[in-house]
Amino acid sequence: MMLAFAEIRRARGRFISIIGALALITFLVLTLSALSDGLFYGSTGAYRSSNANGYAFSSDAEGSLIRSRVPVTDVAKYQQIPGVTKASGVGVLLSSGTGPNGELDLAVFGIEPGGAGVPTTLTSGRLPEPGEDNAAAVDKTVVDKGAGIGSTIKVGDRAVTVVGVTQDSNYQLQPTIWTTVPTWRAMQSSVRPETRGLAPNYSAVALEFASGTTAASIPPVNGTAVLSTEEAALAIPGVKEQRSTLNSIIYTTLLVAALVVALFFALIVLEKRELFAALKALGTSTRRLANTVMTQALVASVIGVIIGIVASRILGLVLPAQVPTLFRTESLIQISIFTIVASVIGALFSLRRIARIDPATALGGALQ
Amino acid sequence: MTTNTAAEADVQKTGRPILEVLNVTKTYGEGHTAVTAVADASLSVEEGQFVSLLGPSGSGKTTLISMIGGLLTPTSGTIRLGDQMVSDMTKKELTSLRAERVGFVFQSSNLVPFLTARENLLYVASLPKNHNRKVAAKRADELLGELGLSDRANNIPEKLSGGERQRVAIGRALMNDPDLILVDEPTAALDTALGRQVVQLLAREVKQRGKTGIMVTHDLRMVEYTDQVFEILDGHLTKSDGTTPPAGH
Ligand SMILES: Nc1ncnc2c1ncn2[C@@H]1O[C@H](COP(=O)(O)OP(=O)(O)OP(=O)(O)O)[C@@H](O)[C@H]1O
Ligand SMILES: [Mg+2]
Repeated sequence: MMLAFAEIRRARGRFISIIGALALITFLVLTLSALSDGLFYGSTGAYRSSNANGYAFSSDAEGSLIRSRVPVTDVAKYQQIPGVTKASGVGVLLSSGTGPNGELDLAVFGIEPGGAGVPTTLTSGRLPEPGEDNAAAVDKTVVDKGAGIGSTIKVGDRAVTVVGVTQDSNYQLQPTIWTTVPTWRAMQSSVRPETRGLAPNYSAVALEFASGTTAASIPPVNGTAVLSTEEAALAIPGVKEQRSTLNSIIYTTLLVAALVVALFFALIVLEKRELFAALKALGTSTRRLANTVMTQALVASVIGVIIGIVASRILGLVLPAQVPTLFRTESLIQISIFTIVASVIGALFSLRRIARIDPATALGGALQ
Repeated sequence: MTTNTAAEADVQKTGRPILEVLNVTKTYGEGHTAVTAVADASLSVEEGQFVSLLGPSGSGKTTLISMIGGLLTPTSGTIRLGDQMVSDMTKKELTSLRAERVGFVFQSSNLVPFLTARENLLYVASLPKNHNRKVAAKRADELLGELGLSDRANNIPEKLSGGERQRVAIGRALMNDPDLILVDEPTAALDTALGRQVVQLLAREVKQRGKTGIMVTHDLRMVEYTDQVFEILDGHLTKSDGTTPPAGH
């Protein structure tokens, strides 16, 4: 311990470089993961907050709510299927609307209050009641843009009053408003004239299953396909791809962290071969030298990780709200542990070198 | 200590040398590339004696004291330090032997560059299995005082002169109250006057503390501070009477 800390204190320069490298790596990984989480959570909130266990889409929609269109009669058909406890129509419309502070990009969800496909993350107020066609609950991000409870939001020629607030319920990075199916339909025909005159339909059917029933075990009604809510979330265009790309960048960066630390300590050990030989000659065990190096790796990575966390938090504060980042404590803890473990593994590689140092080389003369 | 064991120790002191090297050979490598660095060497040193080991470059001086100090294992022969057979020990036992019973002074002082003079002494004090911090701190201060380093105690080696560094190295070698002090060319990095001072200091410490010391040197002028002179030539060790200059010098 004495050696480990004295060296960090008195040979600060070289440790600042490794701490800096690790801080940078942690910062990078945390920021990437915040982006990955931000994209994922911002895209899938409507599903993750839903009380539905699955959704039935039209079979050509590939699980996308936007592309899917199912006839209203399918709802009754799904209600007949054993294992389905609730089936309700759900309508989705991506459109701009007008709030108290001007224009808003929105995802309008038409739901059947009391049915399936309803958000469960209400933090204040309430959801619209059946038949209450001029009311909506909105995601907290809409409130952040100035449309709190009591405000009016207008989509096309239809206006609704905000009666409740939900949390983490957005869809495809668009803030959601949750209204009744008739209101959704009215908004749709107002902003999408091409949908007027079509037979009445929904975007999809939200399903609630009896326990023990899975999406795969439901026989789909003709012309539809059933996905579990989790599958539907991953089927949102781009979600899977973004997540796997960002995750592979994150894993690569962690590998780089291990390599950087391995290289750093390999260099340190190489540089200190003579000193380590002398210390061994004086009666220091290989184990004690190994402990010294491992302690240094641990201290350097912990300090680096802390600096990286602080830096990424500061970035999170100054980033404009349009950048979809989400700094989750769970990801932060996971990444911190990964980085520290990667560093420790990197440092482990230098232990073999330490073990191989021959104390006999410490004495002068031909032995060196 | 009872009078009985004290008497026994006395008998041991006079009856049996503290260090006994018997027919020790060290061969590096195998087959036709084998080099016999030390051939059938025997020597014994009494407690309290400071001896010098002379010989030309490549004659086997470092190899011999490395075996005595438990840094190398002899190819054949035995080495006994007090009641311990150094030549039979495992690597692990040798590590504790060096920590507890042997003090080394290297050619270049090899102090820990990021520890102060005082901390360099305290570091070796922390190596033996049972050590006492308070005792160590007191002893370090005493030694530093004796070596004239009291006001340099909190400097790192970089801030010390070559002579001061070698004095710290001597303090470090004495720190754990070893039975044996091994010194390999302590003056190589110093000028003559400084080298003489350092060797004088070594001789004084060894004498005062009743230690046993072996010093490897190229420098015939340092011989006057030692009690016995051994000479090694091509691995063959002989005791010199100190009157005729050894060959190769
Ligand atoms: N590890 C080794 N492997 C092979 N040969 C060695 C090794 N160490 C020393 N030797 C050889 O053993 C012989 C004695 O070497 P040693 O270092 O003991 O000499 P020395 O008397 O200390 O020399 P110097 O005065 O130059 O320090 C030399 O011929 C040397 O080349
Ligand atoms: Mg030598």
